[in-house]
Amino acid sequence: MRNSVALAKITFLEGIRNRSLFGIALFSLFILGLNIAIAGFFMRDIGKVSVDMNMSALTFAGILLIFFVGLNLITKDIDKKTIQLVLSKPISRFEYIFGKYIGIVFFTLFSLTLLLAMSCVTLVVLMHFNADYFFDFSWINYFLAAFFVFVKFALLTAIVIFFSSIATSAFVALICSLSVYIVGVTIEDVIFYLRSEIAIQEKVVSASLERFLDVIAYLIPNFSVFDLTMEAAHGLLITPDRVLWSLLYASVYIALLLLAAAVIFARREFF
Amino acid sequence: MIDVEFRNISKTYNPGLFKKKVLAVDQLNLRIPQGQVFGLIGPNGAGKSTTIRMLLGLIRPSQGTILFRGAPLDITTMQHEVGYLPENPYLYDHLTLRELLAFCGTTSGLSRTVTTQRGDALLERLELTVAAKRPLRSFSKGMLQRAGICFALLHDPALVILDEPMSGLDPLGRKMVFDLVMELKERGKTIFFCSHILSDVERLCDRIGIMVGGRLVDEISAADFAQQLKATVALELDGCSAALRDRLNPLVEEIEAKNERHTVTLLPGNLYPVIELIREHGATVVSCQSAQVPLESHFFRVVKGVAQ
Repeated sequence: MRNSVALAKITFLEGIRNRSLFGIALFSLFILGLNIAIAGFFMRDIGKVSVDMNMSALTFAGILLIFFVGLNLITKDIDKKTIQLVLSKPISRFEYIFGKYIGIVFFTLFSLTLLLAMSCVTLVVLMHFNADYFFDFSWINYFLAAFFVFVKFALLTAIVIFFSSIATSAFVALICSLSVYIVGVTIEDVIFYLRSEIAIQEKVVSASLERFLDVIAYLIPNFSVFDLTMEAAHGLLITPDRVLWSLLYASVYIALLLLAAAVIFARREFF
Repeated sequence: MIDVEFRNISKTYNPGLFKKKVLAVDQLNLRIPQGQVFGLIGPNGAGKSTTIRMLLGLIRPSQGTILFRGAPLDITTMQHEVGYLPENPYLYDHLTLRELLAFCGTTSGLSRTVTTQRGDALLERLELTVAAKRPLRSFSKGMLQRAGICFALLHDPALVILDEPMSGLDPLGRKMVFDLVMELKERGKTIFFCSHILSDVERLCDRIGIMVGGRLVDEISAADFAQQLKATVALELDGCSAALRDRLNPLVEEIEAKNERHTVTLLPGNLYPVIELIREHGATVVSCQSAQVPLESHFFRVVKGVAQ
């Protein structure tokens, strides 16, 4: 555990000092600033649109953080052979995988927390000038939605780690992880449509393709589980059950992915 | 006691789809006794780095056994005992050397105080104290190499594996690393050393192995080597008379006439009587030089022999 923490620490420092982080932060701040600038166009929906835009900014920043910085934090080790130096120390391959994961997750958490603080400032400013349109706004829902954005990226990090343990290049790991993310975000809507009456009547897809999509739906994590933007925007009730089940769902996936990555990584050779 | 032993080790790897398998190491048998400096030399692609990586557990041998202190290689034990410097180490760009050494200390089970003490000593020894708090991306190639050496030696390992430690170093850096390796040798560390700079290998190593095409084609101890290779001295003489040449003949390896002068090649042990004869006959020594770089010529001969 001590080794994993030591590795997590240097991974976190390496990530947090990466220059691309500034670019991502600036871009997110631009979106948040834009939120203040254009909120006035939405009249009664200012509250909902603001929450929606802030969550989108956080999600977009998270995607960039994971794919531009997080992914590099592990694949660069393999590409540049730094891993040979690290694994020559008394550190097991499982500790390496776990340490890298924790490091990237903390890096994402730190970055998202900063952006969340900024987004709160924009909301406070907008609420100050348009208090009437924030009557159903709940800070608890807002923070829960932001927390689940983080949970989503903790799961995405596990996916990135999993593919990095298999792939021989950073590009392959990127493509695989990105594909899983896109499928994971959209799969619920696709399945929902395929099970709708219209789709059944018109036989949109063949039975075999439908079975294939069912299998994919079970294999690929459903990222829309973690999307609480609508609840946050409309001030809807988020039940403790939903929070707990979503957390359990993410935890099981993360554990399985890290375990698989560790097993694959233990067999891998570093030429 | 034998520290490291490779028994009949072979390694074949698959370079990719539809490509022929590559035999990187072929039937390697090698023993490195404790406290010995073993130098492994060979052309690029000879299998030196693959051998090292197998010893570190980074790759698995396809065949054979690696023993560490008489027992089959256990990676956890090995990791505690070994200090490894890879060829052209790539260290974390945004970390400082202090942070890197702190990581090394923690993973090696050293306390913070010991890590700081040993780190300070190594930084001073390798003249990196001033740069210790700078990000590693601002280091020159030579500084990175020295930083890699600090990383390898911080936990005071019993077995030190150095893959091209002189690569990228300026003459001062080379001297610094050379002295450090000599010091490790005096402290009884076992050193496994790979380098293309044969003069360093020759000066540092107790035993030298030559690897070509994945096979260990020659292994020789430094003492035997000095005897077998007959390092020679070449004297260029002016005024070398026929009488002098007759007297020199039994003492020298070769006398070669060149223009008005003669070049006499002899073993270093015969230098004193030869100089006496030259003085007696009134000839003049115009120049004196080592006739060959022994390991280099031996290396070329071995590699050429294998190629033929």
